[in-house]
Amino acid sequence: MLKNKTSLTQGEGVALKESRQAEKKSFPKVWAVGGGKGGVGKSIISTLLAFWLTRMDKRTILVDTDLGGANLHTLMGIKSPPRTLNDFITRKFASLEDICIATEIENLRLISGAGEILSLANPKFAQKVKIIQNIFRLPADHVVLDLGAGTSFNALDFFLVAHQKIAVLTPQPTSIQNAYAFVRNAVYRRLSQLSSREPSLRALVETAMNPKNELRVRTIKELFQAIADADGTDMVEALKREIERIQPAMITNMTKDTHDKNAGRIIQLVAQKYLMIHPTDLGGIVYDKQIDRMVSEMVPLTKLDQSSEAFACVYEIATKLL
Amino acid sequence: MSHHLETHSSIVKRIIDGSLTIDSVGEFENLLKVFPNDPGLHRALADLLARQKSFDAAADAYRAAARYFIEAGMGLQAIVSKISEWRIVRPAQQEGKAFHVALCKGISEDTPVQRFLAQMSYPQMVAFMVQLVRIRFRAGRVLKKFGGVQNDMYLVVSGALKETTYHPLEEGGRVHKKTTIDLVDNDFFGDIYPFDGDRVSESDVETITRAELVKISKPRLMALCEKYPHVERLVNELYKARSELGGEIPSPTVRKTARHQLPTKVSMKVFREEIGKTPLFLNGFTDDISLGGACIILGATYQTGPSADMVGRKVKIEMGLPSAAMKLHILGTIAWSKEVSHEGKTSTVVGIKFEEMTDPDRELLEGYCYGSDGEQNLIWSLWESLVKK
Repeated sequence: MLKNKTSLTQGEGVALKESRQAEKKSFPKVWAVGGGKGGVGKSIISTLLAFWLTRMDKRTILVDTDLGGANLHTLMGIKSPPRTLNDFITRKFASLEDICIATEIENLRLISGAGEILSLANPKFAQKVKIIQNIFRLPADHVVLDLGAGTSFNALDFFLVAHQKIAVLTPQPTSIQNAYAFVRNAVYRRLSQLSSREPSLRALVETAMNPKNELRVRTIKELFQAIADADGTDMVEALKREIERIQPAMITNMTKDTHDKNAGRIIQLVAQKYLMIHPTDLGGIVYDKQIDRMVSEMVPLTKLDQSSEAFACVYEIATKLL
Repeated sequence: MSHHLETHSSIVKRIIDGSLTIDSVGEFENLLKVFPNDPGLHRALADLLARQKSFDAAADAYRAAARYFIEAGMGLQAIVSKISEWRIVRPAQQEGKAFHVALCKGISEDTPVQRFLAQMSYPQMVAFMVQLVRIRFRAGRVLKKFGGVQNDMYLVVSGALKETTYHPLEEGGRVHKKTTIDLVDNDFFGDIYPFDGDRVSESDVETITRAELVKISKPRLMALCEKYPHVERLVNELYKARSELGGEIPSPTVRKTARHQLPTKVSMKVFREEIGKTPLFLNGFTDDISLGGACIILGATYQTGPSADMVGRKVKIEMGLPSAAMKLHILGTIAWSKEVSHEGKTSTVVGIKFEEMTDPDRELLEGYCYGSDGEQNLIWSLWESLVKK
């Protein structure tokens, strides 16, 4: 029988507890902005979201969790961050707050990733848990996590602990496939975490994660059927409840027309059918040449023209999520 | 479940869902020669005949549609056809009872709505049918709005709708989408039960495609339940089933009817009747495909005279499936063809009925249509239909 929190490893259990306590106390609301593909605009959306949160008088901290390729500081106009996550991990600083860097924007601080320390691209499990625990202790109203590209365990774990899970995609087929893979892997990662202390269950989940598995388990629904056959329906109900909590929100970035805005809906429909989760589709952010140019020329986003249409789209999204 | 419906529906789907209009009885008759047991086709013909005021023929076609719907396990659709028939020709009690017996025997109980219908006695079913109002909507119509008082229960006969539920705010506004679910054949919506007090809608419902529904008003359902307490028990079970499933009611029937289009590039060799004549080579995209056939939109290269001339010709289709390394070859017959205009462009659409295929080919197509790489296929299919310009 699945024992919910007790079936998590100790570290994950603590992180989850922090996450749930944050809902009750005045801990920050944590947003995670992920998506499978690089270059879809995760960092830009994270930054623009953070801008809007500060405009709403919310104390906000942007965290670059792309531990292998941190670049959020560049978008904020900081060439060489004086402190990074590496300084926290190596205990130069005792808390995450100590490594926060002030930005040009009032109420917005940045925690830079650890780009120059390649070893942190794959932090030890305990280090990751330490980062997650401390994120929930940050003195802020909102913490926005900019996740790295791909579906590494790091990205998925940061994504799963966040209160507001956002997946970014662009209207290109490969981006849609990648974003779906990201959401799918997040669901399987959660199932894997939940089954970590149930060897037979874990074996089933791991088998199902291979799309060509010999058991011919192709969908979460089929996996649940296999689990029900092996462990009974109570187990399945507990798992269902947990994965229903994932509820990712889809944002389609760089849309050029109304058709493009449907890309998020694709993930929504496919995930409802195959993953038994219910993503929300937050709509699109229009393609903005100005942002493209600023990124190419390394002009910080703090200089973004306030009349930018993309900026307005992000505002709509922020208000929907608040 | 009827194999016929499953295999033929792809070809006639466009006719049934209204995206392809056939306005001649002759064309329907030709199609029915190819697909004699397709209930949707009989139903579409019946609607045409009724519009043309050929009421006797329409009643016959509605009767045939109801019979084939029952054979396919589609009780709600059979009931709606029967309502149309009985509005033209009042039934003898014996005929009504025979329909009820056939319905209870044939109805698939895959969904709560189907179970609800199957468990009514004959007088209850007739009383229920009398109160139903048939309605049709174009795509993009909002049928139910967040915050409005709910007065009707709707049952989805055909088409697809989207229900978006919101978290209500105390002050009456709405924030945060809670869920968005698709409603398809045999789903229902409209929270009017339990009957005490007015219920305010927590969701919007909008049609995604053209849709046909039947509705019953709250006062009428209440009166029915008062007269037949058994019906109230069934209504209670219907709503209970939905709340237990969190508003979404998955079922094999729903999956089948909700199947998405799978646009796939095809090359087609059309054989000529005259001996020695070179076959026509055409390219196009499948608009829909199933084990029984495909609906193919021909590319711009097709400019060889009236498309109706192709009906009845044998074809060989070659398809490259994303999920398979090899190309799939299927023999078939052109069952119908039609010129369609869309966004200012005219294209020729042909319906192909597949011949028997080899087991490996069938498995390949089955995998493509139904699922082994279903997620990928669905993403591609939706991208083609929702995003691609």
